[in-house]
Amino acid sequence: MNLSGILKRLVLTGLVFFGAATLNFFLPRLSGGDPIAERLAQLGDSGGTMSAEALSAMIASYNERFGLDLPIWEQYLNYLWDMMRLDFGYSIAYFPTRVWTLIGQALPWTIGLMVTTTLIAFLAGSFLGAFAVWRRNAVTGTLMPLMMVFAAVPFYLVGLLLIFFLGYQLRWFPTGGGFSPLVLPSWDLDFAFNVLYHASLPAASIVLSSIGIWALAMRGMMVTVAGQDYMTFARARGLSDRRMFFSYGIRNAMLPQVTTLGLALGQVVTGAILVEIVFSYPGLGNLLLQAVRGADHFTVYGIVMILVLTICFVTLVLDLVYPLLDPRVRLGAP
Amino acid sequence: MTEGHASAGGPLPECPRPEAHIVTLGTTPAHERRFQARLLGYCRRNPAFPIGLGILGFLVAFAGLGRLLWPVELAQPLSSTPYMAPNVENPFGTDTQGRDVLAVTIAGTWLTMRTGIIAAALGTALGSALGFASGYFGGWVDNVVNWIVDVLLTVPAILILVVIAASIPGQLSSLSMAFIISLLAWRRPTRQVRSQVLVMRNMGYVDMARLSGMSGFEIIVRELVPNLLPYLVAVFVLAVSASILAAVGLQAMGLGPQNEPTLGMTVYWMMYYSAFLQGMWWWIVPPVFVIILLFVGFYMLSSGLDEFANPRLRQDRR
Amino acid sequence: MAPLLEVRHLSVSFATDTHRINAVRDVSFDIAPGEKLGFVGESGSGKTTTALALMGLVPNPGRVTNGVARMGDLDLLGLSQEDLKAERLRTVSYIPQGAMNSLNPVQRVRDSVLDGMEDHGEQMGRGERRAAVRELMEKAGLPHDAGARYPHELSGGMKQRACIAVAIALKPKLLIADEPTSALDVITQRRVMQTLDRVQRELGSGLVLIGHDMGLMAQFVDRLVVMRQGRIVEAGSTKRVFRSPRAAYTRELIASVPAMPVRRPVEPVRAGEDPGHVEDDDALLSLENASKTYRRGFFGKDVAALKPVSLRFSRSSPRIIAMVGQSGSGKSACGNLMLGFQKPTTGRITFGGRDVAAMKRREKSDFRRQVQAIFQDPYASFNPFYTIDHAFTVPLRRFGIAANRAEAYDIMADALQRVGLDPGATFGSHAHQLSGGQRQRIMVARAVALRPKLIVADEPVSMVDASLRATILENIRQLRDEFGISVFYITHDLATAYRSSDGVIVLRRGRVVEAGLPDEVIRDPKHPYTVQLVESIPSTDPDQAWARVREPRAPGGADADAFNQSVIRSRIPGFSLWPGTVA
Repeated sequence: MNLSGILKRLVLTGLVFFGAATLNFFLPRLSGGDPIAERLAQLGDSGGTMSAEALSAMIASYNERFGLDLPIWEQYLNYLWDMMRLDFGYSIAYFPTRVWTLIGQALPWTIGLMVTTTLIAFLAGSFLGAFAVWRRNAVTGTLMPLMMVFAAVPFYLVGLLLIFFLGYQLRWFPTGGGFSPLVLPSWDLDFAFNVLYHASLPAASIVLSSIGIWALAMRGMMVTVAGQDYMTFARARGLSDRRMFFSYGIRNAMLPQVTTLGLALGQVVTGAILVEIVFSYPGLGNLLLQAVRGADHFTVYGIVMILVLTICFVTLVLDLVYPLLDPRVRLGAP
Repeated sequence: MTEGHASAGGPLPECPRPEAHIVTLGTTPAHERRFQARLLGYCRRNPAFPIGLGILGFLVAFAGLGRLLWPVELAQPLSSTPYMAPNVENPFGTDTQGRDVLAVTIAGTWLTMRTGIIAAALGTALGSALGFASGYFGGWVDNVVNWIVDVLLTVPAILILVVIAASIPGQLSSLSMAFIISLLAWRRPTRQVRSQVLVMRNMGYVDMARLSGMSGFEIIVRELVPNLLPYLVAVFVLAVSASILAAVGLQAMGLGPQNEPTLGMTVYWMMYYSAFLQGMWWWIVPPVFVIILLFVGFYMLSSGLDEFANPRLRQDRR
Repeated sequence: MAPLLEVRHLSVSFATDTHRINAVRDVSFDIAPGEKLGFVGESGSGKTTTALALMGLVPNPGRVTNGVARMGDLDLLGLSQEDLKAERLRTVSYIPQGAMNSLNPVQRVRDSVLDGMEDHGEQMGRGERRAAVRELMEKAGLPHDAGARYPHELSGGMKQRACIAVAIALKPKLLIADEPTSALDVITQRRVMQTLDRVQRELGSGLVLIGHDMGLMAQFVDRLVVMRQGRIVEAGSTKRVFRSPRAAYTRELIASVPAMPVRRPVEPVRAGEDPGHVEDDDALLSLENASKTYRRGFFGKDVAALKPVSLRFSRSSPRIIAMVGQSGSGKSACGNLMLGFQKPTTGRITFGGRDVAAMKRREKSDFRRQVQAIFQDPYASFNPFYTIDHAFTVPLRRFGIAANRAEAYDIMADALQRVGLDPGATFGSHAHQLSGGQRQRIMVARAVALRPKLIVADEPVSMVDASLRATILENIRQLRDEFGISVFYITHDLATAYRSSDGVIVLRRGRVVEAGLPDEVIRDPKHPYTVQLVESIPSTDPDQAWARVREPRAPGGADADAFNQSVIRSRIPGFSLWPGTVA
């Protein structure tokens, strides 16, 4: 990716952000009536758990935020400005908690789960895929179809299966949550183990079902690479197997794999969100589910914006890293 | 270099002689074989194709025959006694709200497949049209389409769909859900068709067609589309699978039609009522099993269609 | 002297589900130390498979079924995979057709040189490694810093040199070069082959050159083996084979190379009236200061494919005009402009006096009918979905040449017969069921059927087997003589341009450098670039000292001015040409 590629990615990020914000702003208004206003009115009718003052404070803030008396384009500009400052306003369900506070609590869980599992699955899957091409034997021969099946199934269904067998039938692992309900969060080893213990099933379901995706992609790339002229020339020079596998095979097959990682990011995020829901894991996915259930629109929009931004950011980082791996696309090259 | 021999086109030796340059062993060349034999050969080379077709055929039969043989009305709440383990009256048991799980699974399979096929058909049609236009004509049409697809592809479908579904007041029917999903289902078909057209556009026969006085639209319809039909089939299969993925995902988040027994809603209810903690395995296993079969079936079918769909792979076997 | 390599009764076969192909059948030959042996034959003759068998590299599902290959005490065919691996590079080394991607794209050239040495047990310190790389770069004729570059930073010729450097790192006893220059232009080819010649003599090793270019063989190897369908049809010293070929197939191969005329001064054109001016009312197709630039990427620079040129074909006197140049010289861009596939960046294209870009439907349709093309790849030119009839019936009906289907088929049958094809056997077949030569003749037949006024023929014979080239060029000449069709013949091949054209235009980097009658431009070139081009073509006369003459000069310094001039020799009757007015 050259300089204009990076520039394009930046413009793209801006467009994505702008598009998402615009969608968030206009959709509720286009769909006839204002679901947010309706929701507030509904809260006002039922009273619910919220005190009268809190409710009126919320309505006041909503009115102030959107300046309902202002013309719609002015409301829209105000909204865009808020989004640019990442100000998502207040949660409707947990007023006066700000959406940012809720996201801040959930984000570390999601990032921890997603980054580790994606890295493990990416590295292990890529290696397995490459190895399956290099050494065709009974083990790789049976492993690959199995991984293909897992790759076809959405993460959360694998999660349901794991809950059923390992959590419910065998009772080896907890079936949900980020840590045991009776334990207080603290920075010690016990708590860390507790967290890891609870993360093992969700992590396993993500790794199990995404490892096949990477293995398959890598297998395809290795087959392509094996047919390249430089492999033939390498063989004709009598290079060692080790060098052929790592410096020639994997090194070249890895390049498109990094591109695939960028493209599959959305899939990974989607999968992880649903896995969190299945496991009631205290991350963004579960928060999103709660917000959807509670018609907490501001929180839904906030989470969507954060996830979209994260994806854009990671894609940008991958674009910046790629030239380091591939000398043909060094930065600034024509 | 083997290809050079195979396509040399000269008459093959009439009887096999061991010292001959090319020796025909028994079977006749591919293009002379009859359709069935070719199909058989294809299945042997691509076992994923018959497996995928078999799985999906089984599901279609299950949903289709099931609707005829089993009262689907039992999929409504309170139509049976709730919390029943499998028994004579309810072979798959009932859920916490008195739905018959067998009826739910039959109706859900039907609804889910219908949603996927409608969304994918709309998405593939729109995507192909855009892909052909943008790939063939290039210029600003291509730039605009390409940028829009780029922007939309950056964001996972489910996030956009969550915003749409959450912002629309009232209940969604599974049909309107199909339309919402089709709003995004065209992105990949557009990209896939465009990249194929970009390659085909440079083929000599497109230039020949221009020299024969054909207009751009005619070239797309008469020269490009026929060659891309197999590919479009594969694109459609992938789109169905992706649409079902989106539909089930949305439903599992509770964003689907609450009063229709779709497979995704069933997953939502079983999580909502903590079916696991109550030990209601019969509620969980059938729908989850069917969803997994659906995805595996579509996956197998689409990877089995690879050789059929990919013009390059086919050309090598001319 | 004892032979370096002795091969006896080598046989290799490939077995697929339906066929067994005996790719190499009972092949025996020797190579003496320091000798250059050539293997020549068309694709599929088994020449590459023979070489691969010597290194144990026959691809699946191929098997060596018989034979021995002795090198001293070593039987190359009897070694284990591990032992064989140790002998590669050290004893037998391979030089691939490396212009495209024979080097690992993610590592520097020096690492490709060193990894082979290390894997064969060479222990080297930092300084030794650096010295070894520098020495090899120098031997291969590469600049000192080439080792630090990545393959994509090298030109085609430099990549090929880098492959040579990699292959000779361990001073092998036998070098096998597999079509080492087939992807390079003739000028670069000659320079690389000169380097290979020097390197081989310095090493004193044997060399096997595999190729299909008879001229290159005549100029380079000491002894020649001619192969066909897996068998040796003829072998002998190069001089003997070219002087008195014994096998009919060898004679055919030699004859298929158009003889390059010996260079001799041409009589000056008679002064007097200007024969080459096409009047306005006789104009068929004109380029008026037409140029083409492409923009690379979003923020990219403009690249000039064709600099402004003006030319004009005459309606009354059909001509075959050859445009000659290496790949990337802009000759195809010129063809695309003439066909109206692209709009010129500057200037305009006119047909019958009207600007092609501004034509209305009716005029456009007439232009389409009158200006047709024959493309390089006859396979890709037919839509695989339809039978080849489609390529005839559509234009015949559309342009109103045939009133109905039956009439279209009559015209088609007539056209096929005229190019020597049997209509009955051709109707209703798909392109893949026909041979390359048949397909290309069908393209010519299509042109005959449509009777256009001008045909753009872009490398029409470059993908056709050598033996068929002459026939197809003859068919193209028929177009002019029998049907009054002008032909714009685009090619990189000076010899066919000489033989079949009325006028030659030489293009270099988008600029017309020389133009005139074939006798002038090719027999007695004046522009330094044309001179270089003509001298670089390997002739089938083995007495020409092609490989060992001085290295040709590269343009630079005072020569650069000469390179940037355009030399118009004399007017070509019935054709007008002016080089561009804008630099």
